[in-house]
Amino acid sequence: MKKTLVAMILVGGKGTRLKEITKDTAKPAVSFGAKYRLIDFTLSNLANSNVEVVGIVTQYEPYELMNYIGAGASWDLDNIDGGVRFLTPYASAENVMWQKGTAHAVRQYFNFVREFQSDYVLILSGDHIYKMDYQKMLAHHIGHQAVATVAAIEVDWEDPSRYGIIETDAKDRIVGFEEKPEHPKSTLASMGIYLFNTRDLERLLDGGPQDELVDFGKNVIPHAIRTGLAVSCYRFKDYWRDVGTVESLYAANMDMLNDPDFLGLNSSKNLPVYSKSLNLPPHVVLSSGSVKSSVIADGSVIDGSVVHSTISYRTVIMKNARVEDCVVLPDVFVSENAVLRHVIVNKGVIVPENYRLESEEPVVLDQSNLKELGEIDE
Amino acid sequence: MRSMNDLFMVVDATSKGNFAQLTRHRMPGALPFGAKYRLVDFTLSNCKNSGIKNVAIFPYGNYRSLADHIGSGERWDLSRRKDGIFILQPKNLNLTYEDAISFQRMYEHQEYFLRSTQEFVVVTSANLVWNIDFNVVLHDHLMKKADLTEVRDVDGKRLNTFILSRKTLLSYILDYDAINFRNMLEVFDYAPELVKNTYVFESACFMIENPKDLYDADMALLELDVKSQIFNPNRPVYSKETMSSPSRYGPDAEVKNAIVASGAVIEGVVYNSLIGRKAVVRKGATVLDSVVMNQCVIGEGAVVKGAVLDKETVVLPGAEIFGDADDLFITEKKQIVANDENLKVLQIAAECQPFVKTGGLADVVGALAVHYPGLGVRSHVMMPLYAKIKEKYQLFLENVCDQIVAYGGENYKTSLYRITDNGAVFHFVESYDFFDRPNLYGYADDGDRFAFFAKAAIGFFGALDEVPDIVHIHDWHPGLIPLLLKRDERYRNIKTILTVHNVEYQGVASSDVIRKLGVADYQITSPHVNFLESALYNAGRITTVSPTYRDELHYEYYAKNLIEAFLRRDRDFYGILNGLDAAIGPENDLTIRKRYDAQTAATGKRICKAHLQQTMGLFEGERRFVVGMVTRIAEQKGFDILLSAMDDIMALPEVEFVLLGTGDDRYVEGLRAFERKYPGRIRLNIGYDSANPNAIYAGADVFLMPSRFEPCGTGQMIALRYGTIPIVRQTGGLNDTVETFDAVAKRGNGFKFYNYDARDLVYQFQNAYNLFVHRKDDWDRLVENAMAVRFPVEASAKAYLRLYTTML
Repeated sequence: MKKTLVAMILVGGKGTRLKEITKDTAKPAVSFGAKYRLIDFTLSNLANSNVEVVGIVTQYEPYELMNYIGAGASWDLDNIDGGVRFLTPYASAENVMWQKGTAHAVRQYFNFVREFQSDYVLILSGDHIYKMDYQKMLAHHIGHQAVATVAAIEVDWEDPSRYGIIETDAKDRIVGFEEKPEHPKSTLASMGIYLFNTRDLERLLDGGPQDELVDFGKNVIPHAIRTGLAVSCYRFKDYWRDVGTVESLYAANMDMLNDPDFLGLNSSKNLPVYSKSLNLPPHVVLSSGSVKSSVIADGSVIDGSVVHSTISYRTVIMKNARVEDCVVLPDVFVSENAVLRHVIVNKGVIVPENYRLESEEPVVLDQSNLKELGEIDE
Repeated sequence: MRSMNDLFMVVDATSKGNFAQLTRHRMPGALPFGAKYRLVDFTLSNCKNSGIKNVAIFPYGNYRSLADHIGSGERWDLSRRKDGIFILQPKNLNLTYEDAISFQRMYEHQEYFLRSTQEFVVVTSANLVWNIDFNVVLHDHLMKKADLTEVRDVDGKRLNTFILSRKTLLSYILDYDAINFRNMLEVFDYAPELVKNTYVFESACFMIENPKDLYDADMALLELDVKSQIFNPNRPVYSKETMSSPSRYGPDAEVKNAIVASGAVIEGVVYNSLIGRKAVVRKGATVLDSVVMNQCVIGEGAVVKGAVLDKETVVLPGAEIFGDADDLFITEKKQIVANDENLKVLQIAAECQPFVKTGGLADVVGALAVHYPGLGVRSHVMMPLYAKIKEKYQLFLENVCDQIVAYGGENYKTSLYRITDNGAVFHFVESYDFFDRPNLYGYADDGDRFAFFAKAAIGFFGALDEVPDIVHIHDWHPGLIPLLLKRDERYRNIKTILTVHNVEYQGVASSDVIRKLGVADYQITSPHVNFLESALYNAGRITTVSPTYRDELHYEYYAKNLIEAFLRRDRDFYGILNGLDAAIGPENDLTIRKRYDAQTAATGKRICKAHLQQTMGLFEGERRFVVGMVTRIAEQKGFDILLSAMDDIMALPEVEFVLLGTGDDRYVEGLRAFERKYPGRIRLNIGYDSANPNAIYAGADVFLMPSRFEPCGTGQMIALRYGTIPIVRQTGGLNDTVETFDAVAKRGNGFKFYNYDARDLVYQFQNAYNLFVHRKDDWDRLVENAMAVRFPVEASAKAYLRLYTTML
């Protein structure tokens, strides 16, 4: 079945900078904003952009992610002639095909692209929080007669060294691309979202030695620019965050908490964000409970005090416990009289009675580091 | 245990219940429950959790919202290649509500039952909230070697849930027209040859039949042990997947004992309440003891207490709603609740108690008028000044002003008088030419009289102390007022509402009256104008005097020539049950032999009964079964079937029959023949003043009303107050006030039969008789239940008031 556009989501590496949070979970399956997983945003964008074929390229702890996405029905991606495909490492006749980088992974699964004879390939990450209509990016790509288009966003001056920094000419053609430069020449950062003409992408990936064209940002895009191909820049102006670190995960949760209309999450109009229903009853606040300036997901029971925090599903907060400025991931149990401040509580943690952890900087509290981080008041 | 694949399920969603406005847009199964669910989610989840893969739903009436919710059934694993979920719609659109799904209804879809391959079937209801494994019930059914197992709760309440073999069920379905049972309830109660088994379900279970049940069950979820019995993590409740953010709390939120669904935004105070998906409680708003459904908005500073707010209700800033558990404030979907303080209501009618009365209409107008001030409403009434009123009330009538009204090229002088009583202001329109006559109606120029009245009444609006917000007209007499108001620049903002007390009286006159009124832009298309029809098309809202009569008026059998008008106004058409004056009853009745109340009913009724038998010349005896009727003797009142049933009724040896009434000679003759045939057992009192009706209400054992139709009916309400058990046909207000006695659950206050058919009448009559003769304890309980029913006028006044507020 021929399609105009297929998407490939690169789930990528181990996400070590998220510490214990990703110890047994692929980054896109990490919880965000009480009821979401990071992947919800990208999958919802695809559904809202009418992209019917999605390949999810994964190799690290894929179980939870696969389990969550299933056939993609929650995002209306369970199409008869397309839908969600998981592209996992496999053993070929010669060797096991571990992915070495983003471009390397795409090359490995190029059969997937060929199957749908698509004209364009959209390369995405699974751990970004944003709402984008990819059809608009495609229109830009076609309008600029580009071989490749890179989505980019203005970032703060202090930040640029974290990103791939883009230089453009007056017509938005990219003339310079530097990955994580020490002395950035602009504040226009690549969002890690790439759109290619399928034919040109195939030629690019086959054009050089495999070992050199491993990563889109590091190798493929700079190579294309160097060889004079038309690489265009699509400027994105709305909210976007790459959640790669503990700090950014915490900050993104606080963004959501502080903006009552964050990404219009409660509206079914204008690119709605879907997530999978977990068949949980609504949460309940009991007679000793108190909740202020917070968001709470289904299945939780609150009998303690919650201030300025995000509380994920199936969380229990017992009497006289106090949770402030925290990001609580799913299935957490906070026992009586526990006090938590500035903490990201990893999923499934049981916080003991009278436990106290009041941190200045956000820290990840895990079952494994309970004793190191906090103390139990006697 | 048997394999799970041995069960299929029939979901009875035919029950309409009595949900007032909550079911205007949906059937009960689709009612929102537990902040994020619909009632049917529980039944379907039980089905999924019991491994049942073949389900048929039989819906009542408007099932769009249910079909939309269920979709392909995939949320309950019911979107399947083999079997799956089937919504089997009624083939006969004239079906009315029943207690339970009938075999006739199943017969319409007999192929489904013939094709299903499972050996056993669960027949259950769509309005149950519980978490049950039907395989456990099946196991019990098999262990007990039963033919039929009924599931009940710990209190013995029937849950409309049965297990039986497909073969047995099929035999009832295929023979539905030959057997004596209409549904599973009747089979369980009366089929003699079956091995019957009762399975008692011991966990939390709620059967939702009215808004109070819904509210109570919702509130019960706030108790943790109930919640954990309904929401079992191993047997989750599945529902349609929706899109919303997590619940969000503002910095000033104050929440205790609340269930809050996702997408809800809480900025104000919420205590002991359920807040539905995407509902918003603004800063400074307070929600107490209430069920707030999806997407409601409670504005800043608003107060909501003891309420059930249907989806998308908007409570405007500062508005206040006060209900309580026994008198819930219920809104309709998308209702806007404004501050209704000092709402000005003008009722216009041809008669009003205590001034003049020929029918129940006058009671309703008068009762509402004096109850409104207590609800904060400025209450006004306007009616013609008949000679009778003028004579009797001359000393009290205060002249307000005079005006000249042009009608048909003539100028007529009219005057406005008023009397203030109990906080209500009664206005009287005087016209020498039209109303200064001995009778109220029955003149050749009635059309002109009431067309003139409409114009004169509007002419006096300017002379009232305040211009009304709502003009509430009753029956056909003021029927042209909405038409005239629509064309009156001055009164554009006035909202009009029509109450139809009986569709038989319509007011038909020559179209000349339209010309005489000087209505310029009116297309006269017929030589006649029908006052009621004009009001039906022009009033802002339509009501009638009971919810069931409202439903019945959707059928030509009841609505007759006005069927089109009623169907067209369906959206704005409501049924509000009349109340009964609190003063009526045996406690204060000085005209009966012995006053009594619920505690002293046994003695009181015995004395009154003996007295009745004595004065009427019936055979005396406590164990005789005295049947009373106080009625107009007319076709409407069911005399056709009564006369056919009389011999069967009198065949029961202890039956005695006493009737007070006046009317149609045709039936009077028939009745007289029976009086001669059964001397000392039948006594007729023909003529309205020939006996004291209260002596019958107090002294009879049962009160018979086999009406063909009955918009509301007061006889049965009075009888209930006197502990006299009504035997009625299931129509109109009779259906809304009488509940058939269930000997198992000890619920109910009377006996109802469904078909307008002598055989059905006799059948229910025999049930009543047998209970009286053989089950004294049950009968006493029945009398106790009957006397506990109230029908307060306040409830009816509040219902009207709430409807008014939806119009502003």
